[in-house]
Formats: sequence, structure tokens, C-alpha cells
Amino acid sequence: MSFENNSNGNEKEERKYSHERNKSDELQLSRTDMNMLIMNYLVTEGFKEAALKFQQEAGLQEPALCSSLDERIMIREAVQGGRIPEAIAMVNSLHPELLDNDRYLYFHLQQLQLLELIRAGRAEEALAFASATLAEAGANDANALTELERSLALLAFPDPHTSPFADLLLPSHGQKIASELNAAILKMENQEYTNPKLCSLLRMILWSQSELDKHNIKYPKMTDLANATIGQPK
Amino acid sequence: MKLRKSEMAAIGSGRGTMDSQNQVQSDTVDRLKLLYPNVNEEETPLPRAWSTKDKFSYIGLSQNNLRVHYKGGTQGPGRRPHLPYLHLRLWMYRHGKTHRDAASVRATHPIPAACGLYYFEVRIVSKGRDGYMGIGLSAHGVNMNRLPGVGRFPPGWDKHSYGYHGDDGHSFCSSGTGQPYGPTFTTGDVIGCGVNLVDNTCFYTKNGHHLGIAFRGLPPNLYPTVGLQTPGEVVDTNFGQQPFVFDIEDMLKELRARTRVAIDEFPLPDEQGQWQQVLHRMVSTYLVHHGYCSTAQAFSRATGQPIDEDIASIKNRQRVSKLVLAGRVGEAVETTRRLWPGLLERDPDLLFLLKCRQFVEMVNGTDCEASEDGANGVATSVISHTGRPHKRSNGVAADAAEEGGGRDVDMAPAANGDHEEADASSQRASVERMLAFGRELYAMSQKLSQDLYHKSMLEDAFSLLAYSNPWDSPVGWQLEPVRREAVCDALNSAILESQGMQWSSPVEACVSHARSLLRRMSRASLGACAFADLSALLAR
Repeated sequence: MSFENNSNGNEKEERKYSHERNKSDELQLSRTDMNMLIMNYLVTEGFKEAALKFQQEAGLQEPALCSSLDERIMIREAVQGGRIPEAIAMVNSLHPELLDNDRYLYFHLQQLQLLELIRAGRAEEALAFASATLAEAGANDANALTELERSLALLAFPDPHTSPFADLLLPSHGQKIASELNAAILKMENQEYTNPKLCSLLRMILWSQSELDKHNIKYPKMTDLANATIGQPK
Repeated sequence: MKLRKSEMAAIGSGRGTMDSQNQVQSDTVDRLKLLYPNVNEEETPLPRAWSTKDKFSYIGLSQNNLRVHYKGGTQGPGRRPHLPYLHLRLWMYRHGKTHRDAASVRATHPIPAACGLYYFEVRIVSKGRDGYMGIGLSAHGVNMNRLPGVGRFPPGWDKHSYGYHGDDGHSFCSSGTGQPYGPTFTTGDVIGCGVNLVDNTCFYTKNGHHLGIAFRGLPPNLYPTVGLQTPGEVVDTNFGQQPFVFDIEDMLKELRARTRVAIDEFPLPDEQGQWQQVLHRMVSTYLVHHGYCSTAQAFSRATGQPIDEDIASIKNRQRVSKLVLAGRVGEAVETTRRLWPGLLERDPDLLFLLKCRQFVEMVNGTDCEASEDGANGVATSVISHTGRPHKRSNGVAADAAEEGGGRDVDMAPAANGDHEEADASSQRASVERMLAFGRELYAMSQKLSQDLYHKSMLEDAFSLLAYSNPWDSPVGWQLEPVRREAVCDALNSAILESQGMQWSSPVEACVSHARSLLRRMSRASLGACAFADLSALLAR
């Protein structure tokens, strides 16, 4: 391959204040497009306050907030706040068939409930809850069983927060399940994109990088998405 | 190139008189562009015709090099060989010894990988004497004295030649012996050849029917190729300028959908919620970067994302950005000087960019430069006085340009009889102010490095003076509010950098990285890049 030295020189170029004569705008992403990308995230993920503030500050059009946005926000808050039975009740009243059809998602919610009991140190209740409601799901699904085992393993440690499975107790775990649930509700309501565009953008980067890796092609690789750190071509 | 020019003119002139002209042209332009939107023709031109150079001499071309006919060798076309000789030839042909009468032609350019799915069609105008015709693909340098797919003897010598032959319906892959593949084809048939650049396979169609995959494991950079062997054979080619007989839309849709699934279901590096944190971090840093302060705070309250900058500092940047985006560049410069002393002095390029924009905004009538630079009088620009789109066709600005060519103009206000005295004098004042500002700008540019970049920026700005209605002029694009964004970003980034922060936000870095990855894939001939549609992802 003879293309090695092409891709790296343009970093400095981009810093040149752009004044490109008649350059069609496909190359330059307009601020509005970027703003819409962010707005899309806020709306699909149900960050209503931020979405409305953003609309004012960035001078955007009224965001197309879905009818279920308020419910979705309350559900998200309940999940992230560890009030799982409340969240399940809300989902059931909004879309009664949703959790019946998606048992894995239902399992994840119940698992959160289990984690709340473990977090509160109510070990006996946790075991009873697990054998009463979760064992069935675990028996039917290998993934669920592994996750159940990980969750219950927390009980073996005097301080679960320092155990190897402590990640389950982090707020980020609850946020992840909340997003899964949110996506499922949106899908239920036939929203075209269940994934936020930002998510697809990052996945596109990961996908392209793996395609290039597969063919042993050199390129500057983004190693840390959150900070957009790009390494030198290897 | 011709097309590019007219495109540019279309962008430049807006709703000018050229529109009807462009309409006619765009019909032919857009078809290929629509088929292969990801191909950058400046890097990898599409095959649009047969090559007049890359062909065997027995081949004749006509009709914009889209029609191919067999003209034969020295004896000329129409020569009838002895019947036994013909049988011998047939025997040789079937047994791998390519015939010396065969002749092929390649398209002007190889198929760019960024097409993703490439397709062209050949209509058999006449099968000629024997209908020994081959349609297919070949690599650069493959001998043209044979039909596509037919290798030199011994077989396999000429690598990378692929063809589907009309007389027997066989497919040939760099060899003298074909494989049974499809039906035969003859006069009146339309044969299509498609290349799937994602999995590197080739298929054919006959009269709109898909015949199945003919070849696998194709190398990159193949050229569309057609070969003829007997007198009277004539074919016409459609490289996509006309609608195809075969409907490739379904295949395109399927490939797009497949890539989309591959991307959307790409396994994430870790399972346990880190992903969510990455997304939240990206949103938060973007909001902070561009100074969307209250949004960032609201988002932080909902997600617990920390904000790494002083709220007051974010608000200051927000203030300056708002001024630039509103076209009040003079005020933005003043505020920047006050809040971040020394910043603009250290970065003369940035200051020049701002001042140029200020000049443009003066033409626009949005910048009140008077209050900043201590000049006096009316704050609006001359053009807004002469009335925005119409009112006068022969404004002061136009006169100025006619006499002096934009800069160094000694103002000699035109006779504007039908205007009141007061109006005229205030016009004169603001024009003079604008020209004084322009002279200052020119002097400033002389101190900067004399590169094309600074020069063209200044020339573009000054050119606005040449038009009585600059909004509707070829340089009117500068006046669009969107153009403020780049200036705003430059200033904001410089402020952030002066405070030890990142030049661009991670999300934006990701967008440009994604784009460069797709370009890299395209250069490395990975056709899948064609269906990873970044702009569709970002567009609404």
C-alpha cells in the first residue's frame, strides 16, 4: 500500500481559520448540524430540561419532543433513583405489553431491584427475591444466568463496593439500563431512530477502525473516544 | 471540470440568471453523482466513457466514446475467411488459445471503491458476423488483444481479467476455458455488469434479470472492459448517464441496510455502562466548549457530569460568540480585548480574520463600527441606505468599484439626483468610513505573510463593494450569517487554547475523524465505506 503519508498532514490545516471560497458546505459541518446532533441526544434520551435550555441558548427550533417524553423522564428518574417497582408500574401503564414481550429487559429491571436490596445490605431479602423471581429467567437464558451470578456474588463480600463486581453498583449501571428501557419505549412508539445519532457516530468510528484493522491498513486510530484522542498511525 | 465550474457558479450566484442553464446540465450530471454520492471525483474519477488510448487498434469508438464497434485489422472489416479456417479458429478459441483477432477496450478510469456497488450496461446493437463478444472487467495493463476474461496461453498468465461471453454464455476468469454461467446474448440484448465492492464479487444481468454471482475475490481497481472479435459487432454503453434496464436500487438498499446494521450493532468495547459515560461526557464537553452555559448546567444536574471550567469564564465566551454570530464583530473584538488582553495581539491572523469579517458586516449593515473605532456619525453601511435588494440599480458602491476596482478608491460620489441632500451626504460619510476601514485592513494585510489565503480573503471582502446589490452578487455568499460561524469558532477556540483547553470539542473531532476514516477506507479500496453514510447520519 502506498498511501501512508496522506492522512496526517491535515491536522494543522484544519487549524487554519477556514475561509473557503465557495466551498460547498458538505465539507464544513455547520454549527446547526452539530447542535441538532446534540439536541437529538437530549431528546431521545429524555433530558427535557437540558433540551429546552438548549433550544433557547442555541436558537434552535422547538425540539420535536415526543408525546411520551414526560413519562420517559419520570421512568428514567425512577430507574436511576433505584425505585424499580415504581418504574415497572409506570412502564406497564404506558405500554402494558412492553415488558411481557421483552423478558430480558424485564430481567434487567428486576436485577436492578436485586442490586438495590444488596446495596441496602438486606441479604436475606435479596436471596429470597432472587430465588422467587429471577431464577426462572436465569434458567432460560445463559446471559441472564451469568448476570444473576455476578449480582449475587456481591453478597459474598463484606463490602460489595470494593468487590470485583462493584461496577454493578455504580450509577452508570443504572443509567445504562435506563437507556435500554428508554430505547425500548421509543421503539414501541415507532420512533424511527431508537439510537441517538451521537451513538451511531461513535459506532461508525469503531466500525471503520475495525474494518481498517481487518485489512491491516495503517491509519491514525482514535484510542479514547471521550477525549477524542488520536494516536499516530502504527 | 466544466461541470464543477457551473456548480460553483450556481453556488456563487444564488438565484441568478444561470439557473435555467444549470437545470439542463444537472440532469446529466446528477445521475452518476446520485448513484455514487461518496465518490470524490477529484481523487478517483468515475468511468464515463471508453478510453481512446487504452484499446486494441481493431476497436473503433464513436458517439462520445460510448459506442464500440469492431473494425478489424489490416484486411479491414468484412473479410470472410475460409470456412475450415473459421473452424480452426473456433477450436483454438474454445481450447484456450486466444484468437489474434479479438480486441478489447477499457474505460477511461478504474472503478472507485467508494462506489460501493458499481454497475454499467451494454446494449448489443449488432452481433456482427459471429457474436463473439465479451463484457467484463480487467486490470490496468492486461493485454487488449483478447476478449475480457480470456487469459493468454497458458491460462492464468494475464491475471485479473473477467468476462461473460455472448456466443456461449460462459464466464471467463483469466483463463482460456470458461465456466457455464448464463444464457447466450445477441443483438438487442442488454447485458449489465455489476461489481459489489463490499465483498468483491461480480454479477451480470441480462435484460434486467440478475444472473447470479459470476466471480468472487476480485482485486481492486478494475476497469470496465468490453471485447469484440468479428466484423459488424457493435455495442452501446451506459455508464449510468441513462436509466438502467436493471433496477439496482434494491441492491443498494440492501447493502445500505446491511452496513447500517453492522454499524448500529457493532459490539461496544465494554458492557458495563462506561459507554453511557462516554456519551454524556461528549455532550457535556460540547455544550461547555461552545458556551451553552445553562444547557451544560442543566445537563450536569441530570447526569452528574462535571463541568471543568469556571461558569463565569463560559459565560464570557458565550457573550463574545453571540456578538460574532449576530454580526457585531467590532463589539466582539472590543470585548475580547477587554476580557483576554493580549490574545489578539499575539494572534494577528485571527485579528485579521475578525477585521475582514467586520468589513463584510459593514457592507451587511450589521456592524456598528463607529462606536468602536471612534469614528463618527451614522452607524449603518452605505448599502443598507441605498436600499437592500432593489431601489437603485446604480448605487454608490458600484460607482466606486468601476472607477477604482475596489480598493484605494478615491471616492467621487456619483451624481445621485433623485436623492435628498442629507441622505446623500450621510451615504458619503459611511462609504468613506468603510473605505478608510478597508485601507486600514489592507495595511494590516501587508504586514501578514503574503499567502494566497490572506489575499483571497481580502479580495473577496473588497469585491462586495463592486455590486449595487451585494447580496445577489457572485461574492454574496460572504454575507450569509452561516459564514459567521467559522469566525466565531476560530475566536472561541483561540480563547480556549489560551486558557490551556482543547482547540475543538471531542464530538467535532469525532465527526472529522469519522470522515477521514471513511476517506481512508475509500483509498484502501474498502467498498463498505460507500454505505456508511455519515452525512445522512448527521442530516436531519
